[in-house]
Amino acid sequence: MPREPITVDRFYHEHTNRLDLKLLAGAAGLNRIIREPTVNRPGLMLAGHTKYFAKKRVQVMGHAEATYLKALPREDRRQRYQLLFGYKLPCVVFCRNLPPDQDCLRAAEAQGIPLFQSSQITMKFINQATLALEMFFAPRGSEMGSMVEVHGIGVLIRGDSGIGKSESILALIERGYSLVSDDMTRVVLVDGRQVVGTSAEVTRNHMEIRGIGIVNVAAMFGARSIRTEKRIDLVVTLKGWDDVKDIDRLGIQEEFQEILGIKIPHMTIPVRPGRDLARLIEVAALQTKLRRLGHNPARELNERLVAQMASHRIA
Amino acid sequence: MIVRDLVVTNKVGIHARPAAMFVKIASRYSCDIFLEKDGEKINGKSIMGLLMLAAGPGSRLRMEANGKDAAQATAEIEDLFQRKFDEE
Repeated sequence: MPREPITVDRFYHEHTNRLDLKLLAGAAGLNRIIREPTVNRPGLMLAGHTKYFAKKRVQVMGHAEATYLKALPREDRRQRYQLLFGYKLPCVVFCRNLPPDQDCLRAAEAQGIPLFQSSQITMKFINQATLALEMFFAPRGSEMGSMVEVHGIGVLIRGDSGIGKSESILALIERGYSLVSDDMTRVVLVDGRQVVGTSAEVTRNHMEIRGIGIVNVAAMFGARSIRTEKRIDLVVTLKGWDDVKDIDRLGIQEEFQEILGIKIPHMTIPVRPGRDLARLIEVAALQTKLRRLGHNPARELNERLVAQMASHRIA
Repeated sequence: MIVRDLVVTNKVGIHARPAAMFVKIASRYSCDIFLEKDGEKINGKSIMGLLMLAAGPGSRLRMEANGKDAAQATAEIEDLFQRKFDEE
């Protein structure tokens, strides 16, 4: 899925509260693009080292930069501002509510580079901003399938239309589990390790049930029945009984499905009238939980069996 | 596989009613039908999928139909788009 460019405006609007950002100058440059998912402290550059300067990043000013600038004679300081804002920066943030002086505001305004102030201490701001930026840059996509959370395990449920996905999800919700998304799940790779599923904002909290129509799950079953996002720990594919030929009856072999390059445990559940699918999905989730803890029931049973046979061996 | 580029030309875009019309037609056929907008691909037989695309007026969609009745399905859906979902 092609990513929209990450503009300063998006960064500002989506994280105004989390990062406590106040726009002080340079609003004309809000459409500037952030090209790297991290921040830079321009201290070295302000001190005169301009040979290497990570200008594509969000520039963060902390106590170090502020006290350094303050110690300079006004004319020098003004020159440094000219130099800093002369680069094609995405934006500059003053942390700890440090107030940029008039010359600084003017330079930002003249070059059209957004200048923000945040009340957060520099270290905390850098952590939060890096996390926020990483999310913007994380690989993402969408997967066919509904998602529920069962006992803390995020389960992506796939299967052809009409196989009984919605019914089993409803039954799971009635048992107290939560819906993440219906039919289509947006996925994003977090930290390069975990795949997190969520629903599109327009369709959030809703699902479609054939014969009834669109249902607002949150209104009908309450707040605990929904969850905005959850890591995907398991993929379950519902398949017609006759379409499943080669199934691992023991569950010794762990099977995986790849989403955004990450291998996620996968189970195929054959569907037949009378099978309680919700119950089976619940057990599949619990099985996954046990495996995460390092248990493999099939293997353990087999080891016991082998040991027993060995001890009863006819001499 | 049949691939078609479709443009949404009705005033509001694919809101609930047109989405339902699309899915109703798509579900009548046994072929797989996928719809793609801005790189996001959804199952053409899923109402939630269609709504999620939020395909406003002027949006461009790519439809893929794969299966033995794909030709008829494509024709009927193209007709639906040309009729602007019977809205104008």
